[in-house]
Amino acid sequence: MARLFERRLTPVDSPLAILATTTTAFLAAMFVTAFLFLSYGASPFQAYIALFHEPFATLRGFGYSLVRASPLALIALGTIVSWRSGFSYLGFEGCFVIGATATGWLALLTAPGARIGPLPFFLFLPLAILFAFAAGGVWAGLVGLVRARLGGNEVLISLMSNYVAIFILQYLVSGPLRAPGSLPETPLLPRATWLPFLLPGTRAHAGILIALAAAGLVWMLLQKMPLGYELVVTGFNPLAARYAGIDVARRLVLAAFFAGGLGALAGMVEVLGSQHRLMDGISGGVGFVGIIVALLSRLNPLAVIPTALLYGGMSVGADAMQRRVSIPSSITFILQSLAVLLVLACDALRYYKVNPSAIWRRTPQTVAGQASK
Amino acid sequence: MNGAQLVGSAFVVTWLSASLRLAGPVLLAALGETFAEQSGVLNVGIEGTILLGALASFLASYYTGMIWISLLFAVLVGIVANIFLAWMYVTLRASQVVAGLVFNVLALGIASTVYRRAMGNSSLPESIAMFHPLHIPVISNLPLIGPVLFGQTILFYLTLMLAFVAHFVLFRTNFGLALRASGENPAAADSAGVSVYRMRYAGTLISGAAAGMAGGYLVLAQVGLFRESIVSGQGFIALGIVIFGRWNPLKAAVAAMVFGACDALQLSLQIFGTSVPPQLLLALPYVVTILAISGLFGGKAVQPAALMSPYVKD
Repeated sequence: MARLFERRLTPVDSPLAILATTTTAFLAAMFVTAFLFLSYGASPFQAYIALFHEPFATLRGFGYSLVRASPLALIALGTIVSWRSGFSYLGFEGCFVIGATATGWLALLTAPGARIGPLPFFLFLPLAILFAFAAGGVWAGLVGLVRARLGGNEVLISLMSNYVAIFILQYLVSGPLRAPGSLPETPLLPRATWLPFLLPGTRAHAGILIALAAAGLVWMLLQKMPLGYELVVTGFNPLAARYAGIDVARRLVLAAFFAGGLGALAGMVEVLGSQHRLMDGISGGVGFVGIIVALLSRLNPLAVIPTALLYGGMSVGADAMQRRVSIPSSITFILQSLAVLLVLACDALRYYKVNPSAIWRRTPQTVAGQASK
Repeated sequence: MNGAQLVGSAFVVTWLSASLRLAGPVLLAALGETFAEQSGVLNVGIEGTILLGALASFLASYYTGMIWISLLFAVLVGIVANIFLAWMYVTLRASQVVAGLVFNVLALGIASTVYRRAMGNSSLPESIAMFHPLHIPVISNLPLIGPVLFGQTILFYLTLMLAFVAHFVLFRTNFGLALRASGENPAAADSAGVSVYRMRYAGTLISGAAAGMAGGYLVLAQVGLFRESIVSGQGFIALGIVIFGRWNPLKAAVAAMVFGACDALQLSLQIFGTSVPPQLLLALPYVVTILAISGLFGGKAVQPAALMSPYVKD
């Protein structure tokens, strides 16, 4: 008997089905958010046009979208590496801050007259990348070590470690690294350490190239390299991984190290490309939005860049919306998180098979069913 | 009593009474979370629920001026928000960590949008009606223990009482047994006739009610106004306290006091002026929680066996 909705044993996992559910979820989130716009007396259509026009249809706005997208993409890539290895790390806000702090400190050392002195950019950048990656990697790697050796819960420990990192930065910018002035922030970093700007007339900087390269490397690691395969197997089934001779504990720590390093690169890109100084509150929730980007990308490294661009662009559009029509930009937090929650909800749809023929066959069948009684 | 002793005892009194004051909301949230986790649900969404509860109680108190009604409103908002979460966790069997975490971002968006919608763009925070510390004749005037133990708001005593109630319900009633069975071995509980889904919904909703009330506690007894940063990880600390307290409400109460003492140390030391950087002390509660749940002191074995694993009824 054909029913309209038939439950499958396993979800459909064709790319088309995944794309369809993700799009449905996103449209549903936009539909719900439309009511919020209505509550401000704004036409939802115009609000959405305002939300997407500035970031994607103006050159200046697109530059800002790229600026916002780069750290989001790097954090999302870190999320992908750790989560696919079975390490539910949530400490990217902290890694971002640690990476930003390490980079800012290094850059200040290269100011004229400081400990290291001016470095050419082609020397400074690799040094900064290595230093930030190592700092963030060790920061997250410690959590990996606790999980692997002591069995501590990485979800909560990484959440707590975010606050510790934020206080470390707060201490540095209000004490040892503070510039003279009323605000707790460091002096402007030396011009020579800034990431080059890409598009003339915009703020777009080379950070997006770093994010693109990282996306390629993460894709290579997880899809093409034996180490990545071992990481993914560890994530799928740690017991099977152990029987196959994979050192699960070491893989977990390594995954944590990579994840932390990528999260720290996000902080580096933000400091060298956009802020050009360290200040309190530099992270502002980007660590969590980055995780959301990874989730919406379905933990697929190649989908990260477009998704990060979408989310980065939305935050640029939201700021423009707040300036022009004074609808608070926090509405985009609702839209962005609702989209992911609805993606989770729509995943249930992939368990169902729709039989459109059941609609017009229903009547005869019920008649037949009643007749047989 | 010489001068140093006088300063010393004043320090101890402010420190200890602030310890208990700060322990209240996190303990309340941790008590609810204990129910969720004992039923097999790790509800990370309590951070956002506390924020929504805080906003709800602030707005209710701002518009009505009635503090008990405001507290009740915070509890209701907590329950409603967690119906949604329970549906994600239990019915849709979404990853609990993911759903809870993303819900926290959603709650932040909702809270800040609604607050701005209600209060306009005025930068001045509005103050509201609040619970005041009780003053019991005679015993509140006792040295040391008077101000520390008998100078708290009524919400503190209510929370302590709830810790005992929670302990009784979890370990001495059929409901508590069924709840714990659902978190320990859902398949066995199911065959014994326990509705695992219903128990997990109950656990999540209890944690939502408690978290909403904790938000109300923060606003109505401690801060007196609403900020987006009002919760700042206290929900996560409550999650840590649940582990630290080994999924036991009474031990959680002790753990919450330890946390409160760390948090209050920073306040008291700042009042009494020391050269220790305040950030070091601010980070202390988080560091203590990390150490407490790191597994350095054991504790993996007592976790509910089915925690974080969705149950599929065959």
